[in-house]
Amino acid sequence: MNWWLAAACVLVVGGLGPCLWGAARGTAGRRVVAQNMATLLLCLVFLLLAQGYGRPSYADLALVVAVLGPAGTLVFTRLLGDETGARPPGTRLLTPAVLIGAPATVVPMCIAAGPGRATIKLIFIGVLLIAGGAVTSWAVRRG
Amino acid sequence: MDDALVVAVLVLVAAAATAAVLQRDPARQAIVLSLLGLALAVLFTVLQAPDVGLAQLAVGSAVTPLMILLTVRKVRQRKGRPK
Repeated sequence: MNWWLAAACVLVVGGLGPCLWGAARGTAGRRVVAQNMATLLLCLVFLLLAQGYGRPSYADLALVVAVLGPAGTLVFTRLLGDETGARPPGTRLLTPAVLIGAPATVVPMCIAAGPGRATIKLIFIGVLLIAGGAVTSWAVRRG
Repeated sequence: MDDALVVAVLVLVAAAATAAVLQRDPARQAIVLSLLGLALAVLFTVLQAPDVGLAQLAVGSAVTPLMILLTVRKVRQRKGRPK
């Protein structure tokens, strides 16, 4: 096991576990926030797995999550709108998590990958993550 | 050592599935169900089947919760309508 896979393992246990706990209990708003956080962490996990297994094509999964994750969150905020309410607990964690997590994963991977198409793809995924995070945290805040 | 990752993801899938079964409200169950879909996608990827994971991701993260929530909304509207 290399360091990339170890980081993915830590993220699965320490990140997705608490997200599952948050999504299984509490108000509807808190659950939507936990689901949004889980898609962000999942994208980072897929990026780390692609690097850990040495298969850049696995990054396609991260690309799909970066697009579909915010879409899923928007579905929940739209259809659970009257239950979630404005500013559910944990909302203020979303923006810092995206702004710290995405560069902290993408930049080391870009350095490891070196210049080329893979780096452009990684940067694109990072930009998509930050844009999706901005859109979903705005939507969740509005309720 | 790779087994540690597989075991961690397997435990996550089992926990998500148990949590999804234990929910009572269908709308909230859809949220846990989408997390179960995401966890299954990670499991497939860890087991070196990323193509299956890709399909699971597309279906599990957005389409299934959307269909469940639309159905719940339709049923509730019909219940609320005076006869």
